[in-house]
Amino acid sequence: MITRILTGNSKLWAALLSAVLVAPAAQAVPSFARQTGMACEACHTVFPELNHFGRIFKANAYTIDNLKPVRGVSATKDEMLALSGLPPISLMVQVSQTSIAKAIPDGAALSQSSSVAFPQQISLFYAGKIAPRLGAFIQLTYGNDAGTIGIDNTDLRWADNKLLPGDKSLIYGITANNNPTVQDLWNSTPAFGYPYASSNANVSPIAGTQIDGALGQDVAGVSLYAMWNEALYGEIGTYRSAKQGAANAVTGAAGPLDGTTSNVIVGGAPYYRLAYEYLWGRHSLSVGVYGATFKLVPGGSPGTLQGPANEFRDNAEDFQYQFIGDQHLFSLAGTHIREKMTLNASYGSGADNLYNDLTTTRITGNYYYQRKYGATLGMFSTTGSLDASLYPATDGLTPPDGPNVLAVVGSANGLPDTKGWMAELNYMPWLNTRITLQDTQYTKFNGGSSNYDGAGRNAGDNNSLYLLVWFNY
Amino acid sequence: MKTLITTASAVAALFMAQASLSADDIAPEARLAAQHVAVMTCATCHGPQGRSIVPKFPALAGQHSKYLAAQLQAFKAQTRGDPDALGYMWGMAAPLNDEMIAALAAYYGAQSPGGGSAGDAGAIARGADIYANGVAAEGIPPCVACHGPGAVGTDEYPRLAGQHAQYLLKQLRSFQNNMRNVAVMHGVAQDLKANEMEAVATYLQSLR
Repeated sequence: MITRILTGNSKLWAALLSAVLVAPAAQAVPSFARQTGMACEACHTVFPELNHFGRIFKANAYTIDNLKPVRGVSATKDEMLALSGLPPISLMVQVSQTSIAKAIPDGAALSQSSSVAFPQQISLFYAGKIAPRLGAFIQLTYGNDAGTIGIDNTDLRWADNKLLPGDKSLIYGITANNNPTVQDLWNSTPAFGYPYASSNANVSPIAGTQIDGALGQDVAGVSLYAMWNEALYGEIGTYRSAKQGAANAVTGAAGPLDGTTSNVIVGGAPYYRLAYEYLWGRHSLSVGVYGATFKLVPGGSPGTLQGPANEFRDNAEDFQYQFIGDQHLFSLAGTHIREKMTLNASYGSGADNLYNDLTTTRITGNYYYQRKYGATLGMFSTTGSLDASLYPATDGLTPPDGPNVLAVVGSANGLPDTKGWMAELNYMPWLNTRITLQDTQYTKFNGGSSNYDGAGRNAGDNNSLYLLVWFNY
Repeated sequence: MKTLITTASAVAALFMAQASLSADDIAPEARLAAQHVAVMTCATCHGPQGRSIVPKFPALAGQHSKYLAAQLQAFKAQTRGDPDALGYMWGMAAPLNDEMIAALAAYYGAQSPGGGSAGDAGAIARGADIYANGVAAEGIPPCVACHGPGAVGTDEYPRLAGQHAQYLLKQLRSFQNNMRNVAVMHGVAQDLKANEMEAVATYLQSLR
């Protein structure tokens, strides 16, 4: 199905689709606990959600190290080496079962409505200190959908700090990472936002904004950040395309990027982030803004990296509230992302409109009792302007090959709107093991509630029940 | 013989180290290094200058230096075993040397304590009574005997005035079940009832 779309219709649309199919993010790394000698709760409410200390640990480049390091010191007392006594390696395993309300067509028949993933994902992390003031969070993932091992979320950072008058602190640093917002300190931004894990066997909606994971693992960004008094955080950076595994057609060597690659950033894509966090008693509240502007040439096969580019201007607000008691923990996080598209490249071919917009809103509440029993309720909504070529109903092939209705994944009315709810029950027998039952309910999918694809499928047919067992060690 | 000599040297070294690290005798560089650690690391949980915002984490501002140093040594030696000591401070104290411990203790000892916070008047009155007089019927001695009038403490006994009730309660429970193994406090706390603990903690938190 996807192959057909790639060859038959808008490359932009195909890129959008592939973007929302990326594996879910995960961060919860026991090697940090081994490095600091501190239990999970020092940095997390319940993994992977960070608390205030966890955010400061991340801002300090994952370098707080309470193990006796292997050291090297120069004659002038400069620290030349501080290698962890233990390599900061962790492993994550996810096994799952997904049941979709109505089975997906498989030729003339139906596929099975439930899928067992054993594993869904196995990740190997290097997460910890590399050198004085330098640390890394590097994730290699085997996903059962890809069937291969690939680079997942990665954040390399250097940080230092200054003591300011009045015993105030200033932390500043540089991060190099491969997913816009993966470097962020709060769980209200996309990369480490809710859902922390989700099925890769369900149906993904047709549209998502670029900053909402669309470019994850396909870009490399560098940004500078500073945090004043553990409260005010600012960051500016830029992203470039850094596709994995793209071999140059002429030389066979890796890169430089050419026209066979789709959705390539022209120049650098600027990224910004500003946030403020306030603590009182057991409570904390952060509010912030973030965004980026991506100019993407569609490329694809065959394609070119010359000519006009599609511009995606993403601006977002976010907030996160946390209550951390000894018995009860509660958090509420949300984000609102507005994307303005100027489709200079796709207008007239893959898009009907030069200008489109897309808005995503997510709000999630989490409750845990004794860090053992949890419940989550979240809502999600993506809405946007009507564009029947960008969000197509058919594969666009000409007779006699087509056009064929894009059953399940198309949008019959040309709208990208998807809305719904997620509810979760969690049980954590140990702090590094989670059993999750996640229910996803769609009230609207790819523009419609009933017969949204023009092939008789309703939004509710994509509802799913997902059972996940998640280990980190 | 070799073991004996090694032990004797270690004991001697310990005394020398401690003898050289009285609060007045900390080198300016060590004070500056401790201030840096306090602001950049400790303050994330224990608040600015040790005036803790989050009630899970104890206020350190104005705490007696000798008591603080003894606690940091106990965390480092992993002999203080209450749940948060184990989950947080065993790790954080592990890399601290004697000089840093003394300098950190001096830094917090020199800060002015934060103000207490009000609580239920009935609990405060009951807590004040237990603090001053103990509970004779249950054989519980008055807290004031060691922690002093106004709960300002001494070098050996910590200042409790203005401390977070949540932290104090957790400590009392840890003394009671011996996770924090201090014989005197186990003796005091073993027969304390939950409502008595809450009353004392509420009273102590209210003191300024």
